[in-house]
Amino acid sequence: MGGGKNKPELIVDGKRTDGRAFDELRPIKIEAGVLKNAEGSAYLEWGNNKVLAAVYGPKEAQPKHIADPDRAIIKCRYQMAPFSSLEEHNRSGPNRRAIEISKVTKEVFENVILLDNFPGSEIDIFVEVLQSDGGTRAAGITAAAVAVASSGIPMRDIPYAVSAGKAGDQIILDLNKIEDNYSDADMPVAIAPRNNDILLLQMDGSLSKEQVSKAMEMIQKAGETVTKLQRDALEARYR
Amino acid sequence: MRIILPGDKISDNPVRMENAIVENGKTYATVMGMLDDEHGSFIPLESVWYPRQGDFVIGIVENSKNNVHTVQLDSPFRGLILPPPRPRFGRGRDDRFGGRPQREERQEILRVGDVVSCFVKDVKREADQIILILERPRRLFGGKLVEVRPSKIPRVIGKASTMLKQLEDGTKCTILVGLNGIVWMKGENVPLAQKAINKIQEEAHISGLTERVTELLASQNGGS
Amino acid sequence: MRAENEEYILEMLGKGAREHEREHMQYREIKIQTNTIPHAEGSATVDIGNTKVLVGVKLAVGAPLPDKPDEGALVTGAELLPLASAEYETGPPSPEAIEFARVVDRGIRAAEVVDLDALFIEKDKVWTTFVDIYVLNYDGNLFDAATLASTTALLGARMPKYEDGNVIREGNLGRLKTKGSVTSCTFAKVGKNVLLDPNGNEERIMSARLTIANDQDVVKAMQKGLRGSFSYKELTDLVDATFDKSKQLRDMVNKAVGE
Repeated sequence: MGGGKNKPELIVDGKRTDGRAFDELRPIKIEAGVLKNAEGSAYLEWGNNKVLAAVYGPKEAQPKHIADPDRAIIKCRYQMAPFSSLEEHNRSGPNRRAIEISKVTKEVFENVILLDNFPGSEIDIFVEVLQSDGGTRAAGITAAAVAVASSGIPMRDIPYAVSAGKAGDQIILDLNKIEDNYSDADMPVAIAPRNNDILLLQMDGSLSKEQVSKAMEMIQKAGETVTKLQRDALEARYR
Repeated sequence: MRIILPGDKISDNPVRMENAIVENGKTYATVMGMLDDEHGSFIPLESVWYPRQGDFVIGIVENSKNNVHTVQLDSPFRGLILPPPRPRFGRGRDDRFGGRPQREERQEILRVGDVVSCFVKDVKREADQIILILERPRRLFGGKLVEVRPSKIPRVIGKASTMLKQLEDGTKCTILVGLNGIVWMKGENVPLAQKAINKIQEEAHISGLTERVTELLASQNGGS
Repeated sequence: MRAENEEYILEMLGKGAREHEREHMQYREIKIQTNTIPHAEGSATVDIGNTKVLVGVKLAVGAPLPDKPDEGALVTGAELLPLASAEYETGPPSPEAIEFARVVDRGIRAAEVVDLDALFIEKDKVWTTFVDIYVLNYDGNLFDAATLASTTALLGARMPKYEDGNVIREGNLGRLKTKGSVTSCTFAKVGKNVLLDPNGNEERIMSARLTIANDQDVVKAMQKGLRGSFSYKELTDLVDATFDKSKQLRDMVNKAVGE
């Protein structure tokens, strides 16, 4: 998001830099159950993003003092690999951005996992971004949802996440890295599709009220596609 | 039978069943499973073990203090083996049972690191977590432990224990199946037993499993 | 204590009422004081009810960000000081504190409160604006208090001079160049109720939180927090409510900085 003097044109002749239509998702591929040790796992490619998600637990909460006597707690770590970006080597370890994304991702799963079934325990969710090209938090949540569903940890719904943004006056779906860098707004959203509950909502840039609505509608429509891909990945293990 | 996923509707009515929740009067699945619309049965494909009184479990003694043993069950719930109650009359006797020491009352000598099988006597909600009171501990000597996803355990046992019997016969092993997802095996052909159990785990949802396991056991035994 | 307050607040909400006889969409009393720390280039202290937040702005000369060589930088940090609440502890910033600082930062950045282009000095040398948020007393809704204080502090900040390798912070100085202005409205979901400007008791039992930052024309930043959810309808209603309520906040900021 933001400016810079050398801002490239994000829309030329009604098409985006990668040739997509305004409301078009990048190609998405999901595979469930890719890691042996984890209770549940998923590998997801979303455009050039490559993301692994894994879930462990429920197990006894450690250290003990963080345990919640009424429900399971979730620990979540989102991390970008040092080699993940086309630009410079990233310092490894959690930076402030990663800590915030870990927190909002955790909150998405606190909503859908039936935590009350496992008092005193913890569930660990790991999202490792192996290659990044914009929209990694949405990709991570979408992958983690498949990982949790494949684990047998009870959940009330399988959430998905997609981002929308703005280039010039045009609302566009699923921003890639270049669009993300130079767009006029970015709005990642996670939704539990059964009731269309908004579980994650972030936004920065400039959006009118109407544009917020337009972006939400685009995201929900794309959600049907993402949900279908999540379901296919889960069912593929049993066909 | 069809596959349904967490969040999918099982019924337009509120139905109290395992692996499902009721919201606004309707019933939704909370795990992946096979739904039989005709009979309304829902069999989970993946699930987490939730302990129940009488469950047979296998674990490892993790801690031992004042004759109370903590058992690691590969689950969020901690298992406890309490010392047997003091005999009411005489030494080590309970006259309720005609004076013969009962199996339940016989205390195994357990050390940290021992593998034990037990039954869940009670599921207790303590201040900060759920505690499983275990009874009838039995030390298991030697052998091998294998982790099996709890949702696949029923398939390892089979209807009326047929699968388990077939495994034991075909591998000349003693196999104990803990519902918590830990299987203990000891005997002649442990590698074959493990192979067969892995097959069951991976192919539990594909029909003709029993035949394929029979085949596997026969082919490996025929070679020797 | 938590449980008792929870019951009390839910009982009140059942009757359509809030603590201190507030409406669902009503702010507590807001006070803005400017230039409370004259040593800082800019500063403001904001009270919303019993919540008290101080923001100090300092400028320093440094290297630009590698990907933005020709503009200044903005760094926003937040400290939930242990003196502000029995619930705060010393130690490295918690995920809550980091989220808080980043959300405020996104609002200021998206609204271009600071004109970063004007902070370029020469090749490899730019001004960095440090916005430090100090929470002095916690009673809910830190987001709106901090955004108010940050905007006010930035709009009233002095611009130091850079001469012959020296930073001059005193004397006859102009103002920091600013472009926009931003305020935020934070809503809490408690049961099925949505409450503007949650106090500490309400925040302790809220299931979800939504902060919407805007200027007079557009939404500049949003952040939903916690495990609860909002519906699409609630979101659009709250965007409307934000445009409505933010007029009052903007007027207060303008008055405080003398415009």
